[in-house]
Amino acid sequence: MSGAAPRPAGLDDASAAPTPRILRTPNWVGVKTLYRRQLTAFLRFGLESIGGPLVSSLLFLAVFVLALAGREEMLPGIGVAEFVAPGLVAFALAHSAFDMGAFPVLHDKLEGMIQDVAMAPLSALEIVAGYVLAAATAALLNAAAILAVVALFVPLAFASILQALLFAGLLALLFALLGMLIGLWADKWDHYSAAETFLIMPLGLLSGTFFSIATLPETGQALMRANPVFYGIDGFRAGILGVSESEAWLGAVLLAVLEIALVLVLWRLVARGYKIRA
Amino acid sequence: MTSIIDERPAEHAPPKPRSLGRINWLGFWTLYLKEVRRFMNVATQTVLAPVVTTLLFLAIFTLALGRAAPEVGGVSYAQFLAPGLVMMSMIQNAFANTSSSILISKVQGNIVDVLMPPLNAAELTMAYALGGVTRGLVVGLSVALAMWIFVPMQVHDPLAILFFAVSASLMLSLIGLIGGIWADKFDHIAAVQNFAVMPLSFLSGTFYSIDRLPENWRFVADFNPFFYNIDGLRYGFIGHADGSLLIGVGVSIAINAFLLAVAYLIVARGYKLKA
Repeated sequence: MSGAAPRPAGLDDASAAPTPRILRTPNWVGVKTLYRRQLTAFLRFGLESIGGPLVSSLLFLAVFVLALAGREEMLPGIGVAEFVAPGLVAFALAHSAFDMGAFPVLHDKLEGMIQDVAMAPLSALEIVAGYVLAAATAALLNAAAILAVVALFVPLAFASILQALLFAGLLALLFALLGMLIGLWADKWDHYSAAETFLIMPLGLLSGTFFSIATLPETGQALMRANPVFYGIDGFRAGILGVSESEAWLGAVLLAVLEIALVLVLWRLVARGYKIRA
Repeated sequence: MTSIIDERPAEHAPPKPRSLGRINWLGFWTLYLKEVRRFMNVATQTVLAPVVTTLLFLAIFTLALGRAAPEVGGVSYAQFLAPGLVMMSMIQNAFANTSSSILISKVQGNIVDVLMPPLNAAELTMAYALGGVTRGLVVGLSVALAMWIFVPMQVHDPLAILFFAVSASLMLSLIGLIGGIWADKFDHIAAVQNFAVMPLSFLSGTFYSIDRLPENWRFVADFNPFFYNIDGLRYGFIGHADGSLLIGVGVSIAINAFLLAVAYLIVARGYKLKA
């Protein structure tokens, strides 16, 4: 055999073991990749399913306006449709954030794909960030679409867009975190839908979404003031309508504290490999 | 002339074909039981969940109306709303039962196990439909009992309650059966659910008296079997109807007969069931 063709210079190095790639902490590329994977999945399939929440939001709007026609004002100066519209958007936002937070985690677990995420050079916190931020983004996109359609039928003041955005973000994050928690805990789809029916629906629907807390008895009002979701919905409504029943700063702080606590819980769970590693 | 079979020793004789009779009651009953057990096995999701959702609706609407809720049809708003919510839960669950059962069997391929046994199209249709009716009635009864705790419900005419409860459950059960056979994937059924069943069960007088609709929207009620069922069931509870009961009974019987015929025909032809 003739000798090997002259090897180009530099190939000698190739025979050596490849040097490990250095990943800085945080691994931004990794987080971004996980985020994009989740969001792409939503954009591909989720946008098709936006019709469902959109129709049900409009249905609720119609039903409330027709059923509550006897009442002229929900809050001073605010009619039924104006009051209910931001509540509907906030509910759709919360519901879809939960959906998008729980669904991918449970799906990845059941299909065994969660290993691909667990093996990637991502820390526990980065995994949480990738899943949760994508879920929150998807929910915000969903809610924006619904708000746009609802605004066609109901005159909304858009008093403070910044405040509306802040509280929409906080709500989306809260329910995305709850969603991921449920997704990690659930072993099958039954668990997921049980959590949806018995936890998320009551939390989303009874937190001042469709009624002013002034209609509640004393104890109800006190309970409501201890419910962070109420602050989220009320803060969002205040951003849209300019009328509120709670302190915006208190709500923002409460939600932020709760979210930090949830992030810590999720971080520990993922780090321990709770229901991810056998 | 004796056949070969008769000459064999008894134990080698092939078993005689079982006579199934004119109607295969055993097969029909077995399929019906399978349909009922399917949802009772997951009663948390299929019975308890609708109860909770309906109570949530009751809470929201009573709270949103506030303490000074106006009377509707001579009763308090909560009493007016309760029968509507019972009907809504029956409608949605009767539909969900047949549509999901058929579609899951089709997608997973075990629909063959239902088509192979000696059941004719009428027996298949009736077993599935009655399974859905049972789900509707079980859910409706559970919802009504749960609401009784919060709303003082009266029973004005038990016969009307029974008739409209069965008729609405049967109607939606048959629509679910037809929809489940037609659908190729879950998106299709979700579309029927979101764009037909939900709007019709929401907008047909569940939450408000049909008088609330503007004049030129009244046709929504006039030609709408959902409206007659909701209105009729409500009459059974509170003794007040927005529409005519007689027309309601007629429309319900006619539409159920039509749906039964359609369901029977597509099952008999094997539309999307047999390759």
